[in-house]
Amino acid sequence: MTVSPEHDFAVAEYALGTLDASERATLAARRLREPDLDEAILAWEARLAPLAEAVPEIEPPRDLLPAIEARIRGASPEAPGNGAIVELERSIRRWRAMAIAASLFAGVLAIGFIARETSRQSAPHEFVAILQKDAASPAFAVTVNLDKQELTVRPVAAQAPPGKSYELWLIDSKLGARSLGVIGDTPRGANLSAYDPTVVADATYAVTVEPPGGSPTGQPSGAPVFVGKLIPVSP
Amino acid sequence: MTIRGGAPGGRAPTGADDDLNNLLSRIATRDTIAFASLYKQTNAKLYGVVARILTRGDAAADALQEVYVRIWEKAGEFDPLKGSPLAWMATIARNRALDEVRRVRPVSLEDQPEGFEPAAEEIDPLAPRERSERLAALVDCLKALDEEKRAVVLLAYYRGSSREALAKRFGRPVPTIKTWLHRSLAQLRDCLAS
Repeated sequence: MTVSPEHDFAVAEYALGTLDASERATLAARRLREPDLDEAILAWEARLAPLAEAVPEIEPPRDLLPAIEARIRGASPEAPGNGAIVELERSIRRWRAMAIAASLFAGVLAIGFIARETSRQSAPHEFVAILQKDAASPAFAVTVNLDKQELTVRPVAAQAPPGKSYELWLIDSKLGARSLGVIGDTPRGANLSAYDPTVVADATYAVTVEPPGGSPTGQPSGAPVFVGKLIPVSP
Repeated sequence: MTIRGGAPGGRAPTGADDDLNNLLSRIATRDTIAFASLYKQTNAKLYGVVARILTRGDAAADALQEVYVRIWEKAGEFDPLKGSPLAWMATIARNRALDEVRRVRPVSLEDQPEGFEPAAEEIDPLAPRERSERLAALVDCLKALDEEKRAVVLLAYYRGSSREALAKRFGRPVPTIKTWLHRSLAQLRDCLAS
């Protein structure tokens, strides 16, 4: 595993907890996509974790188990009539159908225009990212058109916790986290003209939970709850 | 309500680890009875972790709920070869509490409620006590740090103190604290590897 010394300090401070909110959110987003980084964080967490043995117990102010049990029952995929999951499966089927249709259409176009010049074939212009917590829980679909410098984000199966907002971020290793706005229940767009196309294409897209109306500081307030990277719609 | 694991304030014996390992593997198969049992055995410990970082009671209780939801979701990822079940759960609890405490604003020690004296209540893992092998090794390495630098690491770990809060407390500029942290962490890493 190759983690530079400077990188290792950031990782060690992440595990110890001394990074600020923005540094913390950036690493938390990257670890979901970079196995080496994730492994380095786990190794640092394991070095420090024995310290927890010495923590004296404190009784919580009330019995929290019933509230927790209600939440895990709601989250369980086996729970009958889970509307979000059903809706999600429908969405996935729609996406698949759209992808097949798109590739068929592309095939037709290819045959139709095969005799024409191919000078316009260059880097891909359309990208898509599914922002998710893990492979089983896609939450937002992000599409980017590099020509128009436009981004559209569409909720798939996510609803912000009561009294909170979801905020979308572009996270670049040099720029850090840049807000692309608060996401509601309906699809919305964002203008990307402020960013270099290579930054847009390579960035990590992340969603955080924020106070209503978005982060008061202009930086992510906590670790992302959903992340994803763009892939070209067609190769 | 709470069944204490192990000696008071001491390390849970291996039997308790086995018990928690067993509960976690059952939770990975969506066993809610095992989950309730795990909660009863560990909630006071994990609340102890969270409430020292999130000093307001409601924030700590909210965070503890999130912690157990995460434990439910991630139980299948726990690997007993990489550490004790309690250490794994405490790491989840700390991460949740740290996300929350950094979310609002950097918490300084001056923000503690009136009458709360952190110095009177610091946790000292170096004090004589029963220890797991992993903690004993870490304590040996912590002893090799200067007293002040060790205190910085321990306050960051147990209290979730930010670099700014540590700078205020120790009367040093933030970059100095950062340098201390990096040197101490590098020293700990090398010491644990030897």
